[in-house]
Amino acid sequence: MTEIRLSNLGKDFASFTALADMNMTIADGEFMALLGPSGCGKSTTMNMIAGMLEPTTGSIEFDGRDVRGVPMARRGVGFVFQNYAIFTHMTVWDNLAYGLKARGTPRAEVARRVEETASLLQLSPLLKRRASGLSVNILQRLAIGRSAIVEPAIFLLDEPLSNVDAAFRAVMRTELKQLQRQFKQTMIYVTHDQLEAMTMADRIAVMDHGKLLQVGTPLDVYNNPQNTFVAGFLGSPGMNLMQGHVRQDGSSTAVDFGAHGSITVSDTAIEAAAAKSDGRVQFGFRPEAAAPSQDGALRFPVNFIERIGSRTIVHLGDPDNAIKIIVANQTELPRVGEVLSLDITKGSERFFEIESGQAVGRQSDGLH
Amino acid sequence: MQRSAGYEALRFGLILLFVALTLIPTLWMVSMAFKPIAEWSATGSDLTWWPKNPTWDNFAFIFGQSSSELIVSLDRTAGRPILASLLSASFGTVIAMVAGTTAAYGLSRFGSGANLPLALIQLRLFPPMAVMIPVMIMWAFLGLTDTWWGLALIYGIVTLPFAFWLMKTFFDDMPREIEDAALVEGCSRFRVFVKITLPMMRPALASSALFVFILNWSDYLIALLLTTRDWVTIPVYMASLSSSMTGQLYGAKAALGLIAAVPPVIMGIAIQKHLVRGLTFGALKE
Repeated sequence: MTEIRLSNLGKDFASFTALADMNMTIADGEFMALLGPSGCGKSTTMNMIAGMLEPTTGSIEFDGRDVRGVPMARRGVGFVFQNYAIFTHMTVWDNLAYGLKARGTPRAEVARRVEETASLLQLSPLLKRRASGLSVNILQRLAIGRSAIVEPAIFLLDEPLSNVDAAFRAVMRTELKQLQRQFKQTMIYVTHDQLEAMTMADRIAVMDHGKLLQVGTPLDVYNNPQNTFVAGFLGSPGMNLMQGHVRQDGSSTAVDFGAHGSITVSDTAIEAAAAKSDGRVQFGFRPEAAAPSQDGALRFPVNFIERIGSRTIVHLGDPDNAIKIIVANQTELPRVGEVLSLDITKGSERFFEIESGQAVGRQSDGLH
Repeated sequence: MQRSAGYEALRFGLILLFVALTLIPTLWMVSMAFKPIAEWSATGSDLTWWPKNPTWDNFAFIFGQSSSELIVSLDRTAGRPILASLLSASFGTVIAMVAGTTAAYGLSRFGSGANLPLALIQLRLFPPMAVMIPVMIMWAFLGLTDTWWGLALIYGIVTLPFAFWLMKTFFDDMPREIEDAALVEGCSRFRVFVKITLPMMRPALASSALFVFILNWSDYLIALLLTTRDWVTIPVYMASLSSSMTGQLYGAKAALGLIAAVPPVIMGIAIQKHLVRGLTFGALKE
């Protein structure tokens, strides 16, 4: 139950900068997901919050108290590791009791809380077992239980579900969220799996190459990506991006995609952005924000039709403008090689500057 | 792939040959330990592979100083050298393991640079003879010659690099997260080392200790130079089992050799579970 404030946080390893100039406040009791590809600096950020690494620059505050230099044992954080880090030479009971014993909790209290946590995580029948022979799913529960039992004010989870099987992952997503509602800890969850981030987090921080790119609620980050990286990283498939030329079309402004057609726009910011790079601008739309239509604004040849069960993904365009759209299974589609014309749902068009990749016009509520 | 019968025959023939090359000398020693003098002596008339008249005479001889069949007698029994070997090799192993393990842990977790570990292994590149004379002088000055503790000390020093390097490799391979997990739970570094790291390292400790013990146990050169009478070890004592009248006392040597093989074998069996299991940290799925 602690607010975490990161100010100008940075970490260098020799000449490599793992994290630069990170500013973020995680509210008391908030579930924050750090999302990004491998090597984006999310684990580095987490390890600094836990105290395993000391920052090169900037500061970390818990409720306004600077914790730099405070050893991790006294930061009051719980940490769940990707590889569980279970003490295999001990029983399940001893693993759960470890943190309480280290804090000198009375024996009766330890026994009571071990029972309680074990039943919460369905570990009760296994308490006497040695931890070395257990399955990954059980080990993951145990790792979460071992950290949760001391009721840390801050709970840090480093890709805890990346090694467990898909069915169990779905179960744990729900359970973790319930666990957090129950204990009301401030929770930071590192993941490269956008589904985990989208489903569990109150807010998502998207990172890449040691930089924080965008912070916002899952839907805000999804709908209003602040740059082309976030646009492409979130969503499966990610946002479609294609270059177009801005031109005046009588009284209105249009973005022209040559043979693929054009769309009309009404935002003057787009013209300003295009002026920076020879009238070109990057246009983006979500695969589900396009629908086939008789006289659609855009036209693409069909390359490939991918049936994934619940929906159908249609691969369109050419190597320069590879487009994917998601349609309902029963939608009538032209054959591969023929041209599909489509319309973009009004209000879901997004534009980005060519050079910087930054979003144009419509903005989310910014970095916090 | 179907292999020809000739190939299989050749394969098994070769395997048999190499197994025989390894096992026959050992088995010969075992059989010789139970032979009466006529069956092992070079001048004996009854040379056989298998003892025809099995006897405990050879053991009685090295423990009882004289034998009804041998006209020679020994100036001391094997009891004291066995004690000397046990004490010096065991305490030498303890010294090497304690110092090596703590040094390896420190360097593995907090060390910077590769020079110190390399300097330690360099000790082993030195020819032992080059350092043994200075060591003799120092040990004489300290009054450590011909004592089991003096021998244990030098054994500990000489085998320290092995203990250090073996343990360092094991510590390097142990995932840091396990210690981090204990640290974040509120444990001190020392407690983590004692309660988490060492117990998880039990197989590594056991196999390293066995290796170091066997090195100490089989040393001849150092014991030869640093002991004279009271605390000669089994290998040195074994070399003395000869006489001008009978030549090499092979039967007595075989009996002593058999006894000398016992402690490492017992240790090996005791830690077999760890040796077989090796170092598997079951909690980690990478």
